[in-house]
Amino acid sequence: MAGSAADPRNPEPRALQIPASVDHLAEVRSFVRDCVADFGGSKRVADDLVQAVDEATCNVMLHGYRGKPGDIAIEAAVRDRNIEIRIMDRATAFDPTAAQARDAARPPAPTRIGGMGLGIELLRGMTDEVHHSVRPDGGNELTLVHSMDRPTQED
Amino acid sequence: MAMTIDVAELGGNPPLACVALAGELDASNYEQVIDVVRKAYADGARRLVLDLEQLTFMASSGLFALHSAVRIMGGETPPDPEEGWSALHQMSMDEDAPASNLRLAAAQEPIARVLERTGMLRVFALDATRADAIATLQGA
Repeated sequence: MAGSAADPRNPEPRALQIPASVDHLAEVRSFVRDCVADFGGSKRVADDLVQAVDEATCNVMLHGYRGKPGDIAIEAAVRDRNIEIRIMDRATAFDPTAAQARDAARPPAPTRIGGMGLGIELLRGMTDEVHHSVRPDGGNELTLVHSMDRPTQED
Repeated sequence: MAMTIDVAELGGNPPLACVALAGELDASNYEQVIDVVRKAYADGARRLVLDLEQLTFMASSGLFALHSAVRIMGGETPPDPEEGWSALHQMSMDEDAPASNLRLAAAQEPIARVLERTGMLRVFALDATRADAIATLQGA
């Protein structure tokens, strides 16, 4: 194993499994905040990842499972000073990295709650990288990557 | 962490209300904000301060609730979250100026960043304190 609890440079990966219900979003945010703290990330890195993971997970709940029962598995790990958070579901294939960016020349208009708009903009804007793949046995795997060492973007 | 909402009717002409949000605003509770604003409007409020000082997190669903609050204060039918409302948006928000009957106050740094990143500060004015926001609306 590459990591052990005794080695602060390679902390153990952590995992959470939740039902696909918006009532569990607070638990997801708490999990992400705890992971980033354990991994040695700053509050700013935690704020970014909490926002991004909330938006991504909410998208799976509302538009992947469409309110139907399902499970969402979340894994957090550190690789090369990057925090990687993987969100896995069994829902309809959907790639938020392919969604069109908002027209920045216009004032923002949330189209619908958790829809193809500001949530996706936030999950992309608060991370360094977002990768999507369709799982071989069905469902989505979305990986959000954020450096431990710097903010995602300058404000 | 749950969210709590505190409403203060501050009177004036037109009547001013202040809605203070505390905790985390997300997809599980954003409709509570819309309901509270709708009730404040029904009770006569025509100007609104949304006090964000105690709010520690706001998801995009919260942005939707803030957007709904502007519409409700303007006397429009609140949007149905189940339906797209881009067309409705075109009707009243083409002007690239913040709403004149609603101000946000005292957003913590992560929430101010979300507002800024999503371009929402073109839709809402944000004041440093609740008192500033109230004074600005009362002076308008």
